[in-house]
Amino acid sequence: MDVYLPIAEVSVNAPLLVGLGMVVGFISGLFGIGGGFLMAPILVFMGIPPAVAVASQANHVVASSASSVFAYGKKRAVDFRMGAVLAAGGAVGSLVGVEIFRMLRLMGQGDLVVSLSYLVFLGVIGALMLIESLGSLVRRRRGEAPEAFKDRRPAWLYGLPLKMKFPRSRLYISVIPPVLIGVFVGILSAVMGVGGGFVLVPAMVYLLRMPAGVVVGTSLFQIIITTSLVTILQAGRNQTVDLMLATLLLFGGVIGAQLGARASARFRAEELRVVLAVIVLLVGLQMGLGVFVASADPFVLAPGAGG
Amino acid sequence: MAFDLPPPSVAAASVSAALTTTKVEVSSDYHGQKIVLYGAVFNSTDRPADVVVVVRGPDQSVRISRKVQVAGLWLNSRPVVFQGAPGFYTVASSRPLNEIADFGTLRRLAIGVDYLAINTPAEGAVETRFGVKDLVVSRLGSDYLDYRRAVVRIKHAARLYDQDERGVTYVDRGLFRAEINLPTSAPIGRYQAEIYLFQGGREVQVRQRLLEVRKVGIERAIYLFAHQRPWAYGFLAVFLAIASGYGASVIFRRS
Repeated sequence: MDVYLPIAEVSVNAPLLVGLGMVVGFISGLFGIGGGFLMAPILVFMGIPPAVAVASQANHVVASSASSVFAYGKKRAVDFRMGAVLAAGGAVGSLVGVEIFRMLRLMGQGDLVVSLSYLVFLGVIGALMLIESLGSLVRRRRGEAPEAFKDRRPAWLYGLPLKMKFPRSRLYISVIPPVLIGVFVGILSAVMGVGGGFVLVPAMVYLLRMPAGVVVGTSLFQIIITTSLVTILQAGRNQTVDLMLATLLLFGGVIGAQLGARASARFRAEELRVVLAVIVLLVGLQMGLGVFVASADPFVLAPGAGG
Repeated sequence: MAFDLPPPSVAAASVSAALTTTKVEVSSDYHGQKIVLYGAVFNSTDRPADVVVVVRGPDQSVRISRKVQVAGLWLNSRPVVFQGAPGFYTVASSRPLNEIADFGTLRRLAIGVDYLAINTPAEGAVETRFGVKDLVVSRLGSDYLDYRRAVVRIKHAARLYDQDERGVTYVDRGLFRAEINLPTSAPIGRYQAEIYLFQGGREVQVRQRLLEVRKVGIERAIYLFAHQRPWAYGFLAVFLAIASGYGASVIFRRS
């Protein structure tokens, strides 16, 4: 059952889109990431113009993240204050990122920067996460105590001014690191068209030392704010949000996210992180290696100016 | 050029034609459309006549870049903008175009993908060469042809450009038909079908027929909303997303 998308101006299989939304929503609910890094490449592969794919899937991320945040919020697993600080940085970052990306697109280098960002960020984060989570999994199997952070209170985190209390995370730290992380994630989400959960989750665990219980819910809360902003900016400035496409994706997405949030309780955090690390690593390699391989046709249509 | 002139009273050849569909409606089950053009040739002379059908969609400028290898990475070169490229272009004839008319004629009438008048004004530089003043020279030099061929190749691969030298088939004496296949990606807008009658390498008559591709129903409503009130559209999209997320969490909590 094919359906014609009014903004993307292509015809795609509707049940396939609902199914795709559901799978990505499940992953999103399970790991507390938006899932944009998975969705955008698949939509482009299905023939949807990249600009429309990136803008419309941001709206799907809003829906599936909202679906699981309402589930996590009930369990008091969202640090709204930390989420708001991260989101404030994220808003600044995404405005800067949109401008950077616009200039790169005009120079014709948009594709290259997207591929390299996927390769570098997904590759590095996936590899680090895989090493760390496999390590703690092995230690658990051997019956050793989990390795404690060498320095529970790193000076750079606690020595900076502008301290703020984050009761849900049981932290009393400077707002500067979370704001900077937010800015960085905002730039990434504009350039790569993703919510940035795959950066946020490790940053909250390893840099901010937040308790694992609130990381997923807080990450999702921040993602909702950033991707809502991206959706409105993309619709307002570029008219690239396809409501038909977004509706089909989010119909599956909200259901998948609920199932994912439920399933997450059944797995150990380390096991989940191994699976997430493998997914992140594979997508990064798949997207990034293209820049090292000569394509069959050396000419490509550049975005913009119709065609 | 004669447009829809009545056939002259002296013995001559003339052509008339009609499209089976003049309005293509793009709704949610749109898959592209096949349109048939029927026509008749009235030839009271003893010289053979050739029919060429050209269908052009609305113009869409094309930005194209070439991949170049720099330090092991494949980078895109600076994009080149081609103006005047039709968003859809198809030519049907009953025999190869270069047998019907010569290069100059085809080029003047822009018949055939190789003769399309597409150019790169942004790359033009006015120079004086060989003592000739104000000569427009493309900065692309000999690469120009590679870029031009690439535009046609990419559009052809997307089934937006086509050239079929067997596309005009005779159903009966003097009665011909041609098929126009609009892919789903064919642009929205006004299309023009031109039916040329050639005799002895010259065009003796041209007929024009209009074809409109437009969105209807919910497709049109969404498209207009997105373009006329973009900010409200963006807010509605976010509202729908959050509401459905909330709705799903309520339903699942109960179950």
